[in-house]
This record gives sequence, structure tokens and C-alpha cells, in this order.
Amino acid sequence: MQVYLPIAEMSVDALLLLGIGFGVGWLSGLFGVGGGFLLTPLLILIGIPSPVAVGSGANQTLGASVSGLIAQWRRGNVDVRMGMVLLAGGFVGSAAGVQLFAWLRRAGQVDLAVAIFYVVVLGTVGALMVRESLGAILRRGRARPKRLHEHLWIHGLPLKMRFRKSRLYISVIPPVLLGFSIGVLSAIMGVGGGFMLVPAMIYLLGMPTSVVIGTSLFQVVFVAANVTFLQAAQVGSVDIVLTMLLLAGGVAGAQFGAAMGGKLRGEETRALLGALVLAVAAALLWELLSVPDQPFVIGPAP
Amino acid sequence: MPAARERRAGRRLFLLLPLVLLFAAPAAAQTIAPPSLTAELSVSRIEVTTAFTGGEILVFGATERLIHQQGDEVVVLATGPNTSMVVRQKINVLGFWINGPSARFNRIPAYWALASTRPVAEMLAEDERAGERLGLGLLQLPQLGARAPRFRQALRELKQREGLWVDQAQVEVSGGRLFHVRLPLPSSVQTGLYRVQVLLVREGRVAARQDLALDVVRVGTAASIANVARDAPILYGVACVLMAAFAGWLGSVLFRRS
Repeated sequence: MQVYLPIAEMSVDALLLLGIGFGVGWLSGLFGVGGGFLLTPLLILIGIPSPVAVGSGANQTLGASVSGLIAQWRRGNVDVRMGMVLLAGGFVGSAAGVQLFAWLRRAGQVDLAVAIFYVVVLGTVGALMVRESLGAILRRGRARPKRLHEHLWIHGLPLKMRFRKSRLYISVIPPVLLGFSIGVLSAIMGVGGGFMLVPAMIYLLGMPTSVVIGTSLFQVVFVAANVTFLQAAQVGSVDIVLTMLLLAGGVAGAQFGAAMGGKLRGEETRALLGALVLAVAAALLWELLSVPDQPFVIGPAP
Repeated sequence: MPAARERRAGRRLFLLLPLVLLFAAPAAAQTIAPPSLTAELSVSRIEVTTAFTGGEILVFGATERLIHQQGDEVVVLATGPNTSMVVRQKINVLGFWINGPSARFNRIPAYWALASTRPVAEMLAEDERAGERLGLGLLQLPQLGARAPRFRQALRELKQREGLWVDQAQVEVSGGRLFHVRLPLPSSVQTGLYRVQVLLVREGRVAARQDLALDVVRVGTAASIANVARDAPILYGVACVLMAAFAGWLGSVLFRRS
């Protein structure tokens, strides 16, 4: 069943989009991440123009994260204060990211920039995840020193603030910077950034795991909303038909994924997710390195 | 007596003459200038809906003389609204394939299709073809930026691969004088006013022509979405945010595990 996407100006098989939405939703339910990092490359792969894939990917991430945020909010797992500080950086970062995106589009380098961002970010994060989780699996059984969190040099910066729910008293500079970088990445890659935010909150800020997922979803929802709005208003590349089809599949898929995720152990889940992230990065790197079958590309003049 | 009868007959004939002329005049005019070419489109409007998967322009018509046998040939040229395209060459930098030099083509047809009963090159001389732009190679492609002709060549090839430029389709002839051709429109076709020219070629010259117009319009949901996104981007952005958030909330309600 073909459906015409009014912004992408092309027709795509609706079942294919529902299937992609379902698959990505399933994985995101399984691993507890937004899944945007898989969605945007998949959309580009089936021929959706990069700007539309990024804009609609951010819009889909927003919808997919809302239900997670509601669930976490009910359980009281959101540190609103920390979320607000992250968000302050996130808003500035995503606004800057959309400007950068618009500039790249005019320069005709969007495809390249999106691909490079994906390779670098996913490659780094995936490698770190695999290493960390494999280490945890190997260390399993051995007792570890129990400490609330590590004290790093980062915690010694000025402008300190108390975050009661996270049981932290730290400078606001690291969370603001973290929010800013995730915002930039979110705008360029069309992802929520949960897969980068969660480890950063645990290892850099030293937040307790219980509030990390809820607080990161808080940041992801609002940053994705900001990216969607700016991409739609400035670049004009959000396709609502595409978003809704992806969401319809994604919401259903997430339920199956979440049910299955409960049966896996934390380290195995993280190792699998890391492997998946690395695989996507490797596929995109291969695209960049292999000789193109078409030496020329055409596109509408900006 | 015979003379008188003759005179009377002559008078009667004289009286009848205007009547005969009155009836004969239209018939005579028809035989003097019959339409040497008549052509029509099956539809004057193609609607792009959310279920649009592409369409076709069906041009049909008839000629006065027999096609091929009596030297008549038919050429159909369809052109879409003007657009601007950028052609980029991929270059290798440090092992990575990136977009390198680019050429910009302004005011080129978004759609262009040529069809004829016989290859155009066989029926018209070079200068005639150039004047009517009958041939992808004769299309005016003003180029900005990179100067090399390979960009122009790439533009022609890629547009043809997308099915947006067609050079050349076959005009089918049936019964010697009836002709028709179906020009395919892919789903990526641009909306706007399309012009279809039907030319009758006789003895190496364009003997008659007919201009037809076709409107490709977005209608229904697809039209409203595209219009809102273009005319009120702020509103559209807010709507996208709210709709996605609502869909997410709806999902959490529907699948809420008690």
C-alpha cells in the first residue's frame, strides 16, 4: 500500500514505514532508548531525503519518548531540577544545531555531515558500551566497592547547585554543557540522544541509575520538540505523515520490546545495544568509504 | 415554345442558384480546410492525493492524411514547470567520498517528455529541431558554477533515470490516422502547469500544431499539509510537536499495563 508523503514529495510503501517503526520501537522498548539513531539511517537508506529523515526522526523521537516519560513521571523517577538545567543547555544547543544544519544544507554537505556525525558518535558510544558491559560481565561475581558515586574533577567547578532527587551537590556547568552537546547532536542527527545522555549522566555527573532514565527522557522530549519546531519552521523538512506512520508502528513495537527486555540481564542488554550501535556506525562508514556507483548526485537547488 | 421553356428553365435555375450556394457554402469550406491535426488530452487535471503513486499524460488525436504513408508524422512534447537543480560531483578526500564541485541549473523543466511516430532526427532537420527544442540535447540548460560539460551530461542522465525527462517515447498509430501516446509521470513529479505541444510534421516542416494544457495539483490532505507547511511554518511546527506528543500519550494509554 503506497502512501504519498507531502513534504518528502514521494510515495513510499506504508507497510514498510509501519514495519520500520515497529522494529525500531521494539528495539527501543528492549533497550530503553529512543531508537532515533537507528531510525534516521534507515529512512535515508529507503530513499527519504536526509533533511526530511532528520526532521521527521526528531518528531518521531518526541512521540516515542512521551509515553516513556509519562510512565517514569508516575513512578517519580524524574529529577525535574536536573532536567531543567540540562534542558537550558539543550535548547541553546538544538537551536545552534538547526542553524548549523541549515548552513550545511545550503553548502550541499548535509548527507556527508549527517553520515560523519553518525559514524563518529555511534562508533565512540558503541565501543564504550561494549567495553564497559563486557568488563562488567567478566567481573561478574567479584565484589565491588560500594560508593554513591565517583568524585571527579568535574564536581569541583563553581556555580554549585543542590539536586535533591539525584542526591548530588555539583556545579551546573557540566550538565549545561552536556545538555548543549546533546542538543546539537539531536538537531543534526535527528535523534533524542538518550543513548549518549544516559551513560554521560551515570559516569560524568554521577547520578543514581534510578532517576537517569526518567530525567534523560525529560530532556529528550523537550529537546526533540524544540528540534521538530525549528526544523519545521526554518528548514521545512518535517513530514507529519511519515512521523505518524512511524509512531503507529513504534508504539506497538515498544510494548513487545519492553516485555522482552525484562527477561534480559543489564550487562547483556548493554552489550547487545553496544554491538547494534557499532554495526550501524560500521554500515555508515562503509557507505562513506566505498566507491559510489553514481559519481554525480542531483538535488533541488536550495 | 422550346425557346420560351428554355428561358423559363433558365429563370428557375437562376432563382435556385442562391439556395444552392447557401447549402453548398459550408460543405465547400469544409473540404477546402479540414483540420490537418486534432489532438486532445484524456484529462486536463492530475490530482496528487496521499494515495498518489504516479500517473500518466494520455495524448490522443487524429490527422487528416495517413500517418507514414502520406508523409505525415506526429510529435508530442510535454514540458513541466520550471525548476532549479544542483548537480554535485562526488570526489574522494582522504578516502572519504564527499560532495565536491557543483553546478547549478536555473529555469530548467521539472518534467520534459518527447514522443513521436518516427525518431525526430529522421523527420526534421537539425535547425528545425533546435528551434522547437525537440531533443534532450537541444534543451537549453543554463549552467552556473562548475563549467565542465560532464555536469550537464549527468543532469540529463539522472533526470532520465528518475523518469522525469523522457527522450523519446513512441507515439502509437492505429487505423492509419489515429494516434495516441502515454507519457508516464512518476510520483516525484512536481505540481504546476504542464504544457503539451502536438506537432504535425509534413515534408520536413512543422505543418500544424496544437497547444494543450494540463494542471498537476495537490488535493485533499496532501495539499493541506504541504500548504500549511509552506505558508504557516510556525503553526505547522507547533502542530507537528502536539500531534506527535498526543500520539505518544495515546500509545501509553492504550498499552498501559495495569
